[in-house]
Amino acid sequence: MSAILEKGPVHQFDSAAIRQQFPILAQKVHDRPLVFLDSAASAQKPNAVIDCMADTMRTQYANIHRGLHWMSERTTEAYEGVRDQVAAFLNAPSREEIVFTRNSTEAINLVAYSFGALLKPGQAVVISEMEHHANLVPWQMLRDRAGIELRIAPITDEGDLDLDALQDILSDGQVALVAITHMSNVLGSVTPARQIADMAHAAGAQVLFDGSQFVVHRKTDVQALGADFYTFTGHKLYGPTGIGILWARKALLDAMPPFMGGGDMISTVTFERSTWAHVPHKFEAGTPAIIEAIGLGAAISWVEKVGMEAITAHEAALTSYALTRLADVPGLNVIGAPKDRGGVISFTMDDVHPHDIATLLDRNGVAVRAGHHCAEPLMRRLGLTATARASFGIYTVQEEIDVLADTLVRIRNFFV
Amino acid sequence: MTMPVDSGALYDRLIVERARKPLFAGRLENPEKIGEGKNPLCGDKTRVELQLDQDHISLVRHHTRGCAICLAAADLMAERITGLNIAQAEGVGRQFSAMLVEKDGQPATSATAGTPALEQLEAFAPLRAHRARIRCAELPWVALKEALSHVDV
Ligand SMILES: Cc1ncc(COP(=O)(O)O)c(C=O)c1O
Repeated sequence: MSAILEKGPVHQFDSAAIRQQFPILAQKVHDRPLVFLDSAASAQKPNAVIDCMADTMRTQYANIHRGLHWMSERTTEAYEGVRDQVAAFLNAPSREEIVFTRNSTEAINLVAYSFGALLKPGQAVVISEMEHHANLVPWQMLRDRAGIELRIAPITDEGDLDLDALQDILSDGQVALVAITHMSNVLGSVTPARQIADMAHAAGAQVLFDGSQFVVHRKTDVQALGADFYTFTGHKLYGPTGIGILWARKALLDAMPPFMGGGDMISTVTFERSTWAHVPHKFEAGTPAIIEAIGLGAAISWVEKVGMEAITAHEAALTSYALTRLADVPGLNVIGAPKDRGGVISFTMDDVHPHDIATLLDRNGVAVRAGHHCAEPLMRRLGLTATARASFGIYTVQEEIDVLADTLVRIRNFFV
Repeated sequence: MTMPVDSGALYDRLIVERARKPLFAGRLENPEKIGEGKNPLCGDKTRVELQLDQDHISLVRHHTRGCAICLAAADLMAERITGLNIAQAEGVGRQFSAMLVEKDGQPATSATAGTPALEQLEAFAPLRAHRARIRCAELPWVALKEALSHVDV
């Protein structure tokens, strides 16, 4: 194991040691070293996660919660241990408030379905103009199913949530839930969650934060934020796909009906009726993603060893370096200028389409995302159809941003 | 910094030129046939307008908002099909699609007898290796198909 992990939390960032933990970063793409700037879509996995999942399958695996045998008990312990870990990671008051889902999308759908079942026609849900489709489409479906109103809180031209407008939207007291991203996957904007929560609560509404992007970059404390619901997804946090988290206050989870029915979520079943298990199991029907949950636990341990403060500082330095370098690329426009930006930068280039940018960057080993980033209404709001997006992670280094900026200059010369 | 960017043969000079300075962009005053293509994934759009002289395509214009591949594909399609009859234009379109679908390193089908050659459209052959971008080149052909869908031949 490298020095950085032996020493525990350090605030001197040893990028070389960190990069060594991600075997994929040694790969070449089109004969060039891989420059992976697409972590906001999904992050790469460190050995700690890869090995933990493989070891689980090799040495300690069985179905959970139902076996009376040794293997099942050990696997159940490992799986339930991750619930404790996630509770600590989010500073949740109780482990019973942690629900395992497939991803953030499923977590939000769960809330839209089960919390949505408690809403009455005429009540409203508020989202923002900069939501990922994952925090938009489930609410449209609820609107059409339950006759609630869906209200859209605008953003400013800089890409910040317009808090004055949000205040107006809340003023009639009809809003039951404010569901807002904690960090935009397109603009990088970090939203003022505590302030939003206070405004929502003053208007009698609950608040959900989509933390899919945020938890990767900053310390998350659901109690300090005043959140009622919080969601994130494992694969962006250096963990595996197929595992996500819903945190919700226990009183809410208790009041909500189940999302899906099946094994594990029941207390007793007869042909006439069933009763539900206690939370969180009421929301975890069927055999869950056992190996993936255990892998998420390994990812959280790994991130915590590196230290969230160190990660935040490293990425903030990279992001400001990238903004400086990109400002020197002729014809390049960075989209948005939020007050607080995480490690995500969307951009366009005069006379060069984002897809051409992405294809040419890829030819040169640089992976970025191009398109609407699952945020079509936001693109429309910005008057764009697509952007290119570079996003940074724990393993990103300054040299990679130099490669990005230099290649962008050459792409521009190629087309103009 | 002065080294040219590696475009992996995908962006043939002809494609870049046509994307920058299309020769068939614009609108017809009285188009007889109009077709549109849209790619919901990226928002690219193209509108193809035709004038026919009996069953021959006599004039083509396209109005395209999209990437270099899509723009150049629209422009080179317009050039290639001008003067062909409808059956020939459709045949070129089929060949174009076949060229983009690789099978064991070979195009899935070869030209059927009587179909005019692809000529400059062969510049798009390297797209085979970029599956995600094939739709960009096919979009104008989708629009053409729509424009021709109401023509009785
Ligand atoms: C802000 C935001 N919300 C939600 C999601 C959905 O995550 P998942 O696809 O893992 O459910 C993403 C990622 O794509 C995201 O960036």
